[in-house]
Amino acid sequence: MGSYISRRIALSIPLLAVISFLTFLLVNLSPLDPAEVVLQAQGVPMITDELLTQTKQELGLDRPFLIRYWHWALSCLQLDFGHSYVTGQPVWSQLGPAFLHTFKLTIVSAACMIFFSIVLGVICAWREGKLLDRSVRGISFFLTAIPSYWLGAMLVWLVAVKLDWLPTSGMESYRSYILPVMVLTISYASIYFRFVRSAMISNLNADYVLYARACGLPEKKVTVHLLRNSLQVAISVFCMAIPVLLGSTVVVENIFAWPGLGSLTVNAILSRDFPMIQAYVLVLAAAFVVFNALADVLQAAMNPKLRKDL
Amino acid sequence: MKMRLLTNLLQDKLAVLSLAVIGLILAAGAMAPVFAPHDPNAVNMDLRYAGASWHYLLGNDHLGRCILSRLIYGIRPSVLGVLAALFVSVALGAFLGLVAGYFKGKTDAVIMRVCDIMLSFPGYVMTLAIVGILGVGLGNILLAFMLLKWAWFARIIRASVLQAAEADYIKFARITGVPSITILLRHVVPVVSADIAVVASSSFGSMILQLSGFSFLGLGVQAPNAEWGMMLNEARDVMFSRPELMLAPGLAIVLTVSAVNFMSDALQTALDPTLSKTNRKFREQASLPVKLRGKEVA
Amino acid sequence: MKRMRFKFSLAIMLGLTLLLAGCGDGNGAENGAENGTESSRAEASEELVYASTKDILDMNPHLYAGSMPAQGMVYESLVENTKDGIKPLLAESWEISEDGKVYTFHLRQDVKFHDGEPFNAEAVKQNIEAVQHNAAKHSWIKLSTKIVSSNVIDEYTVQFVLSEAYYPALTELSMTRPYVFISPNDLINGDSKDGVSGYNGTGPYKLKEHKVEQYAVFEANEQYWGGAPKVKRITAKVLPEGETTFLALQKGEVNFVFTDDRGTDSLDVEAMNQLVDSGDYQLVRSEPMNTKMIVANSSKQGSPAQDTKVREAIWHAIDRETISKQIFAGTEAPANTLFSSNVNYANVPMKERAYDPEAAKRLLDEAGWILAEGEAVRAKDGQKLAMKLYYDVNSGSQKTEAEFIQHAVGQIGMQLEVIGEESTSIANRRSTGDYDLLMNQTWGLAYDPQSTIAAFTSETSYRHTTSGIARAEELYGKIDEVMVASDETQRAALYKDILTIVHDEAVFIPLTNGSVTVIAPANLQDVSFKQTQFELPFEQMHFDASE
Repeated sequence: MGSYISRRIALSIPLLAVISFLTFLLVNLSPLDPAEVVLQAQGVPMITDELLTQTKQELGLDRPFLIRYWHWALSCLQLDFGHSYVTGQPVWSQLGPAFLHTFKLTIVSAACMIFFSIVLGVICAWREGKLLDRSVRGISFFLTAIPSYWLGAMLVWLVAVKLDWLPTSGMESYRSYILPVMVLTISYASIYFRFVRSAMISNLNADYVLYARACGLPEKKVTVHLLRNSLQVAISVFCMAIPVLLGSTVVVENIFAWPGLGSLTVNAILSRDFPMIQAYVLVLAAAFVVFNALADVLQAAMNPKLRKDL
Repeated sequence: MKMRLLTNLLQDKLAVLSLAVIGLILAAGAMAPVFAPHDPNAVNMDLRYAGASWHYLLGNDHLGRCILSRLIYGIRPSVLGVLAALFVSVALGAFLGLVAGYFKGKTDAVIMRVCDIMLSFPGYVMTLAIVGILGVGLGNILLAFMLLKWAWFARIIRASVLQAAEADYIKFARITGVPSITILLRHVVPVVSADIAVVASSSFGSMILQLSGFSFLGLGVQAPNAEWGMMLNEARDVMFSRPELMLAPGLAIVLTVSAVNFMSDALQTALDPTLSKTNRKFREQASLPVKLRGKEVA
Repeated sequence: MKRMRFKFSLAIMLGLTLLLAGCGDGNGAENGAENGTESSRAEASEELVYASTKDILDMNPHLYAGSMPAQGMVYESLVENTKDGIKPLLAESWEISEDGKVYTFHLRQDVKFHDGEPFNAEAVKQNIEAVQHNAAKHSWIKLSTKIVSSNVIDEYTVQFVLSEAYYPALTELSMTRPYVFISPNDLINGDSKDGVSGYNGTGPYKLKEHKVEQYAVFEANEQYWGGAPKVKRITAKVLPEGETTFLALQKGEVNFVFTDDRGTDSLDVEAMNQLVDSGDYQLVRSEPMNTKMIVANSSKQGSPAQDTKVREAIWHAIDRETISKQIFAGTEAPANTLFSSNVNYANVPMKERAYDPEAAKRLLDEAGWILAEGEAVRAKDGQKLAMKLYYDVNSGSQKTEAEFIQHAVGQIGMQLEVIGEESTSIANRRSTGDYDLLMNQTWGLAYDPQSTIAAFTSETSYRHTTSGIARAEELYGKIDEVMVASDETQRAALYKDILTIVHDEAVFIPLTNGSVTVIAPANLQDVSFKQTQFELPFEQMHFDASE
C-alpha cells in the first residue's frame, strides 16, 4: 500500500509541473501588454511611455520567458502568486479566503449530494426496472437538464421573495448555504446517483452474492457485504465530485453573490487580471490533481486489485 | 448490429419522442428563416416588454424584438454550434483513441499522458481561462470546448478499442497481415462507433448547458445575435419585475437537454439490452473515474 | 483481509462525516459572530447599507484602484468644488500670488486624523510629497507636473510653488484623489506608492472593517471637525448583479443604492419605481452631471469613422427621444451637445442636429457611401460602411442603447457590430485607438469642461478621437492656451471655439444627460449630491426621527 501511495504521488508531481508551465504559457500568449493592463486596471487615467517602461521593470517583464517562469513557479510554491494587477494586493490574500468560501460551499454540497446519491442509488437499484426506479431516473434526466443558474434564479424568486424564508445572497449565516447547496445538489446528485445505482446493480448481480445466498448466508449479512462494496463507489464519487464542484460553482456563486472563487475569477477575466487568472487555474488544477490522487489511493486501499494498475 | 440498434430504439416510446423533439429542434434551427415569424433582430421600441399577442406569440423583449423568433434563431449557436464543436472534438478524440488503443505501446503511452494532463485541468476552469485570455465570444468558447473535450473522448474510446481489439477475428486479421488502416476502418470503427455515439450524446447535453451558462455570465454570444443563455441574461435584469421573460428560453434549454439525455440513455440501453446483467460490470467500473471526470454541468 | 477493508471504509466514511459535522459547526459559530457585527435587517437600525457592484478595493487615496464613494467618506481635500465655485474644506482660506505661481493655504486648526494625529502643515507637505514621488501616475492631473515644491510656513500654513500659472489648480486640488490627506503614520517611509499601513483620513467616516468581496463597514467619526455625522454606520455590501440588488433592497438586506463611480446602473427604471411604490423607499436624482455619448475615432486609418459626414449621419440617425423615453423611462433627458448648458463655459449656441434619418441618408449619399440595389449595407469604392461599437458590459442600459443604435443605423445602411467589454478593456481601446466607436461619458460637473477637454489632447483619453479632424492642430493650440489663460473673457472665448470645433466635427455624439440616482429609505432626509458623480455627502444625511 505504501509503495502504491508513493508511486501515485510521484505521478502527480510532474503533472503539476506541466500544469504550471501550461498555465504560465497560456497567460503569456495573450496579445495584451501586461504592463499596460496593470496601469489600466489600477485606473491610472493617463499612461505615458516612461510610466510603461518603469512598470515593465517593476514587474520584471523585461526578462526572458523561461527565467520569468522559473521565478514564478518558485514563488508559487510558497503561495506567493504575485500581486493583483487590479488591487495591487498579493493575489493569495484575495484568492485564499475566496478559495475557503468556495471550498466550504463545495464540501457541504458534496456531502448533501453524496447522501442523496446513495439513498436514491440504493433505492433504485433495489427496485431496478420497477416504476419507482424508472420514474426517479426519468425525473433525474429533467433535473440534469435544468441550467443551474436558471434553477437558482427560480428558487430565489420562490423561496426568498415570494415566501421570504431565506436570505437571497451573500454568506452571512448557515441559512445562506441552503439555496446554493440545494441547487448544486439537485444538479449533481441527479448525475451521480446513477453511478451508485449501476455499481449497486452490478454488485447485486455479482457472483459472490449469488454464492453467499446459495450458501444460506443470512440476508442481513449479504446486505452488509453489498453496502460495503458500494461504499467504495460512494467514496470515489465523493472525492471526484469535490474538485469538479470547486471548478463549476461559478454560475451558482454568481446568482447568489457568494464571495467565492467564481465571482473573483469572472471579475479577473473581465478586467484581465492575469496573475489572478493564473493563480486560479493553478490552484484549481492542483486541487484537481490532489483529490484525484486521493480518490485513487482510497479506492486502492479498498480494492487491492487496483494497486497493480500503475 | 445497426438493425438491432434501430429496432431497439424504436421500441422505446420515450426514445422515439426524444428523437422527434431533437429532430424538430435541429430542423427549426437549420431553417430558422422559414420557421421564425419575424426578423429576430428587428427593434420596435413601442413594443418594449409587450406581452404575448397573436402577432407575437411569446411577446417582446427589452428592444421590442419577437421572442419566439429569437428563440428559433437561438437554436443556431445554442444547439447547432455546440453540435459542431462536439463533432470536431469527438472526431479528434476518436482518432487519437483509436490510434492509442490499437497500436498500444509508446504511441499509447504518449497519447494517454497527454490525455492525463488535459484531464487534470478542470474543464470549466480551463474554458474560463481560455475565454479570459482570448476574449469573450461564442467562437472562443466553442474553441475551448474542442481543445478540452477531446481527451475525455480519447480515453473512453481507447478503452473500448482495447476491448474490441481482443476479439479473435481482429487478432486473426492482424496475423494474416491485413493493413492496420483496413482493420481499423473495417472492423474496429464499426464496433466502437456505438460507444462513440453514447459518449458523444451524453456530453452533448452538458455542453449545451455550459455554453448557455457562459453566455449567461456575459462571456459568450455577443449582441444582437440571439442565444438562449444570452436571452436569459437579458431577462435577468428584469427578473423580479418581469419574471415571465425567464420562462421561454429556460424551458427551451430544459426541453432540449432532457430530450438529449433521454435519447442518450435510450441509445445506451438499445446498444446493450443486457445492460443490467453482469457483463456490464467491467465497462462501468473500469471507466468510472474517467466518466466522472467528464461530468460537469452548468 | 476483507474484514480489514470493511473497517477501513467504515472508518473513512465516519471520518468524512465527522469532518463535515465539524465544518458545519465551524460555520455556525463563525457566522453567528458575523451576524453580531452585521445586522441582517438594515432598516431596523439607523444605518445605511449600500449595494456596490465591486469591492471597495484598495483604500490608498493616492492611487486609483479604490472605490471613489468610499474614499470620499474617509479622506478630504484642501478645498471643495461646489455649485458656487471653490469653497474651503481643510483649508480655511488661501492666497494666490500675483503671478499665479504661489498658493498659500491657511489650514483649519481643529482637525485630527482618525488615529489622533493632528492635521497640520507638516502632514500636508508629507502627503503632497508622497503623491509627487509617484508623479508619473498622476500625469493626467496637470497640476502634478507643475508643483515644484511644498513648504511649511508655520504649523497651520502651507505653501505650494508651481512652475507656471495654472488656472484649474484649485479645481484639481478639490478632486477625490490624489490630493487628499492620510495620516503621516500610515505612509511607508514617507511614500504611499507601494501601499499604506492604515487608512486614517480626516473625513466624517472611518473604515472599521473590511471583508474583501463581502462588505466594508464605515463608522461615524465622532471627532469630525464638521460635527459628528448623524448616520452612525455605513456599510458597503458587494452585490455584483442588478437583480440581487433589487431583491436585497426589497428584503431590507441593503437599503441604499446609487449610480456607482463607473456609471454602472444596477437597477432598471421599472424596478426602481416598484421600490418607490412600496412606500419604503424614495428616489432622488441629481441634476444632470454628465453626458453619455458615443466617441468616434477620427484618426483610425481605413475606418469610415474618419469621415465627418458619416459621424454626422450617425448623429442624425439616433432617436434620442425614444432612448430617453423608452430605455430610461424619462429619467434622462436627450442630449444634443457634448456638455449640457449648465456646465461652466458650455452655454454656447451650436448647430442643431435633430433626429432625421432622411438627412442622415442624404449625408451618406453626398459623402459617396452608396446603397447599391439589393444590398443592405452602403459602400464606397468597394469598402463597406461597417464599424464596431464597444460598450461597458456591466451596464444594462448601455447594452440596450447599443443594440438600439445598431438597429437605427442599420436603417440608413450602416452596419454596426456591438461588442460588450469590461470598462478597463474599453479604456485600453480608447488609449490605443483600437476602435471605431465606443460608448463613454464625460467626467462630471467637477471635471467638466476643463479635465474632459484637457483629455482631448491626452494620448490615453481622446487623442485618437480628435487627432483625425481637419482642425486638430488649431484645437490643440487653443486647449493649451485655455489652461493657462488667466483672463475670464479670453477663457470663455477659447472654450467656445474648442466646443464649436468638436461639435462641428461630430466626434463626440451625445446621447443623454446622465445623473446620479439614489434609492434611499423613505425616512432618510437631506439626500443631496456633490459636484462629482463619484461621491455622495453621507455626513449630511439623517433619518427622520418622527417615523
